[in-house]
Amino acid sequence: MSTPLLRIQDLRVQYSPAGSRGGGTIRALDGVSFDLARGEVLAIVGETGSGKTTLARALLGLHPTETVTGSIQLGGRELSGIREQEWQSIRWRRIALAVQNAGTAFDPVYTIGAQLQATVRQHLPLSRRRAVEAITHLVRSLGLDEHHLHAYPHQLSGGEKQRLMLAMALSCHPDVLIVDEPTSGQDMLSRRHIVTLLQKVQTEADLSILLITHDLAAVAQLAHRVAVLYAGKLAEIGTNREVLGRPRHPYTWALRNAYPDMGTARDLSGIRGHMPDPANPPAGCRFHPRCTQAVAECRLTEPALEHHDSRLVACHLGGLQTLLQARHLAKSFGANGHRTHASSQNGARQVVAAVKSASLEIYEGEVVALVGATGSGKTTLGKLLVGLLTPDTGTIAFQGQAITTLAGAQLVELRRRIQFVPQDPFDSVSPRLTVQQIVREPLDIQQTGNRDERNQEVHNVLESVGLPTSEAFLARYAHELSGGQLQRVVIARALVLAPKLVIADEPVSMLDASEQAKLINLLKAIQNERGMGLLVISHDLALVRKIADRILVMQGGQIIEHGPAGQIVNHPQHDYTRTLLSAAPSIDWYAKKP
Amino acid sequence: MLVVATRYVERVLRYPFGRADVRHVFSSIGGTTAVGLVLFLGFVFVAIFAPVLAPYNPDAFSGKPLEHPSNAHLLGTNDVGQDIFSELVFGTQISLIIGVGAGLGAVFLAVVIGGAAGYIGGWLDFVLMRLGDMLLALPRLPMLILVNALIGAGVWQMVITIALLFWPTTARIIRSEVQRVRQRTYLQLAHHFGSNRLYVLRRHVLPHITPLIVFGLVTSAGRAVALEAGLAFLGLGDPAAKSWGLMMRYALNLPGLLLTDRWLWWLLPPGVCITLLILSLTLVGIGLESRLMPGLRRQ
Amino acid sequence: MKQRLILYLMTLWAVLTLNFLLPRMLPGDPLQALLDPQSSTYVFDPATRAALEADYGLDRSLLEQYAGYLVGVFTADLGHSIRLNQPVIDLIRSHLPWTLLLTGSALALASLVGIVIGTEAAWRHRSMWDTSLVTVSVILSNAPVFFTGMVFLIVFGVWLGWLPLSGGRTPFADYSSLLAEMRDYGSHLLLPLVTLTLSLLGGKFLLVRNSMLGVLQEDFMLVARAKGLPAGQLKRRHGLRNAILPFVHHLASHAGFAITGALFIETLFAYPGIGQLIFDSVVVRDYPVIQGVFLVVSLMVLSANLLADWLSYQLDPRLREA
Ligand code: SF4
Repeated sequence: MSTPLLRIQDLRVQYSPAGSRGGGTIRALDGVSFDLARGEVLAIVGETGSGKTTLARALLGLHPTETVTGSIQLGGRELSGIREQEWQSIRWRRIALAVQNAGTAFDPVYTIGAQLQATVRQHLPLSRRRAVEAITHLVRSLGLDEHHLHAYPHQLSGGEKQRLMLAMALSCHPDVLIVDEPTSGQDMLSRRHIVTLLQKVQTEADLSILLITHDLAAVAQLAHRVAVLYAGKLAEIGTNREVLGRPRHPYTWALRNAYPDMGTARDLSGIRGHMPDPANPPAGCRFHPRCTQAVAECRLTEPALEHHDSRLVACHLGGLQTLLQARHLAKSFGANGHRTHASSQNGARQVVAAVKSASLEIYEGEVVALVGATGSGKTTLGKLLVGLLTPDTGTIAFQGQAITTLAGAQLVELRRRIQFVPQDPFDSVSPRLTVQQIVREPLDIQQTGNRDERNQEVHNVLESVGLPTSEAFLARYAHELSGGQLQRVVIARALVLAPKLVIADEPVSMLDASEQAKLINLLKAIQNERGMGLLVISHDLALVRKIADRILVMQGGQIIEHGPAGQIVNHPQHDYTRTLLSAAPSIDWYAKKP
Repeated sequence: MLVVATRYVERVLRYPFGRADVRHVFSSIGGTTAVGLVLFLGFVFVAIFAPVLAPYNPDAFSGKPLEHPSNAHLLGTNDVGQDIFSELVFGTQISLIIGVGAGLGAVFLAVVIGGAAGYIGGWLDFVLMRLGDMLLALPRLPMLILVNALIGAGVWQMVITIALLFWPTTARIIRSEVQRVRQRTYLQLAHHFGSNRLYVLRRHVLPHITPLIVFGLVTSAGRAVALEAGLAFLGLGDPAAKSWGLMMRYALNLPGLLLTDRWLWWLLPPGVCITLLILSLTLVGIGLESRLMPGLRRQ
Repeated sequence: MKQRLILYLMTLWAVLTLNFLLPRMLPGDPLQALLDPQSSTYVFDPATRAALEADYGLDRSLLEQYAGYLVGVFTADLGHSIRLNQPVIDLIRSHLPWTLLLTGSALALASLVGIVIGTEAAWRHRSMWDTSLVTVSVILSNAPVFFTGMVFLIVFGVWLGWLPLSGGRTPFADYSSLLAEMRDYGSHLLLPLVTLTLSLLGGKFLLVRNSMLGVLQEDFMLVARAKGLPAGQLKRRHGLRNAILPFVHHLASHAGFAITGALFIETLFAYPGIGQLIFDSVVVRDYPVIQGVFLVVSLMVLSANLLADWLSYQLDPRLREA
């Protein structure tokens, strides 16, 4: 592709909000650049307020001239700064816009046909009869007919208006079609309809489409390339497969994880934090207040869009960081439970391979669930990852450091960043210590701060797990606590060192159902607030799928399937996963039994 | 009554900000509303302190007829030697009493009728609203002229007749708001919890329509002031209550008034006062309307 | 539409009945007082008194009076004036055309100007023009019409002496040509017309401006602009066409305002319309005339209502459905 059809360079839209007294400038769009080739579908993705709609309007010259800077080139011709009259010949004829609210996009006092006709005859030298013919033809090709043309807007359904809006946008055969949220607010069926329709018109006319949406499913189906917009800036841009398949930017990653897949049972948590105020965006990387992996530099300088393979990512760290990476881990035990060494495997004693060549990755700020039946090796794998066991073979890297080779101070430092919540809380606390002592223990060991600071830490962390902080409670012993309380104490102990990753082994299995739900939600909330990584090891797929971004399924010491939670739950590939799913307790299940 | 009403206006304007300081309230209610409020409160002040502010008893023959303005008579005297400035000051009382009285009456009717129509609904709603439509379709001034000609107007007759004619506009707004509130789940829940209707009305419905009540009060008061002035000007007012309209009528009755300068201090001041009083109410109304716009638009 | 028609018929009936009942029901029995030698409103002229007795038929039962009254109304027999001992209908007939001329032309003029400047002001929202027009119209529409009229009268009639002070035409004038006649009528009409127009203009301007502002915010306006339509089309074909709907809807109440205003202005300028008639009648409590005028004005306002409804219905396809 030589010159792109549409080239946007450093486009900015800034204005002072109406009626504000000396308030800051709103930077709705702050230096956006991209190309759109002929016949290409580029999706612009982002949350509400990311600047998507501002972009669409800027491309039609609908903002007051003085608010727009940067360059918009259409077929080599510079559009920014041209006069209103010149824009009039560009609008709709070259670049057309199918707006978001088709319901209110038509003038209520004219019939649809009259409005289409006026549009067509404004731009094309057609007689009234030819115009009517052309419109009728167009409308038919979109699965509508003449009676829709004779109708007034209020007589039509939302879906019909949506399609007629599309017809109107296509009526002057534009080079570029901008579609703003074509699927929002529609039921599944009309949504599918619109997507197929867009696919059809795009291929038939070799149309360039700018698809503005937050509907990632539509993007996946339609777009060739995807650009992710955050607070008026591009976060990531690349091919559909790259960006949606393997997001690099932490925002893209979070966006994808927050996207409600059809029928996901996952509780929607959204992306933590809020879209920044466009009048007062944070300094440095705009995403840093919400980013789980922000470093000091992120607060100071804005990252530039930089090449990473074939895509562009705006992140100081080059995108999402891998927190923990394990390669081909293996671990075997003797039949009596004693450890064996790989070298003595051919010995007389019977050897059980608990983990056979397991590989996995955990990214910054995500919740991963490791599921499997009892004996699948998941607990062993968990212990290997924390460093409680040493693998026979394989490597583990945490934040790029190989842990298997660490020792001394480095190991202490590492322990601080990975914390473990063991399966049995009673077994994991000393009956001779009070609550305060239990939770303070890691701080004491690591010797952080003075005594008062440590106690303050304990106080804070107990609060965040929803436990009382009274003197009386702090002085209690483990046996004086309920199961739920004890488990929270254990979690608090894991959190007190502010780890980057928490590995929780069956954190709720000892509790009753209602406590389980409460605690699992608490875990998710804490994870969301602190932006840490969380690996939950569990046999209960039904429970963990409520909080997990990704699920790994383990059987016989191997990870047999992994993927986004929605995908695993809805389209399990492996029989074993299916069994796990169907074995998940369901009240219906009992009812279905003959 | 007046003081309560003005305090009400202020409270509603202040409401979204809690107990903010006055400067903040003024900057947030916007310049025009502030001007209107100050103007109106000025008239209220004059009305209350009329006996102190006016140099003479307006009915006393305190000078020679048709004196020019002087230090003794700021605006001169009328054709029988009464002090025009004192008439003007006391006229404020009449305009305000009629404006606020008729406004309160109209709004009271509007709340009762609109509230009942919206809250009870059914045929009662239909009948009351059609009644309102009919009243709206009637020409008001000829109607008032007819009634006043027949019964001879005193101040209170006028207040009552104006109130009887003016309730439908506000009643409509209140009705639709009550209907909207009634749809709300929390109201249905309150019923469900077994609360009685009076409680629900006081606790849940009234707070919603309070701003509308103030808005209705302000607008109907403005129109009542205008009507009173007009009727008095036509000679249909209370001849005993010397209002601004009546002053203008007397002035115009003097043959050749317009040919001398006399109209400058006799005719102009009451006209300006009427205009300013109505204007002040309108300005407050505009301020309220822009605040309530989402609510008013929903009907 | 049918519902509205029924409402208006009912309103008409209510007006008729009210007109009948009010004088008979109100305290003080004003009608009896006319015939009571003790009262202050006693009619001295025996011929007039006889006509009144015949018109009102107060010795008959209420129902009979009502029937007689209704028959009278439908045969255009509205009784006799106490002041002039003439049939009320004749008086109205001679005064009404003047009022119709004044209100009609003022209404038309104010609408036209209001629509044009309202549209432009909204189009240039927050510009200096917009702000000053809004300020002026708020003040103008709040000043009582008899006061503005007075100011005009003084400025143009007395100070500048451009226009006649009062009347509908020069008394006893002998017109040399039709043109001269029209000039005379026009110069008499001008001041009342300007006064009434200005007092109506503020409200109309604000209504059009505000509804236009609302329309300009609508999605379809954005789409229309995105479609590359020229500014003129945007403003008129889409903007004004929609903004005019509330205006038409309020036409009836504007007609009511116009007539009310006209009543005052006629009194002030001694313009020979029904405003004058009512003013002269009020002074002497000439009830039959006041009642007659009330009926006629009500009829006018009701017709205006009907017209406005019909127009809205024609202009707004959404209403046609309902
Ligand atoms: S790591 Fe830093 S630069 Fe990258 S997205 Fe997070 S905050 Fe922005």
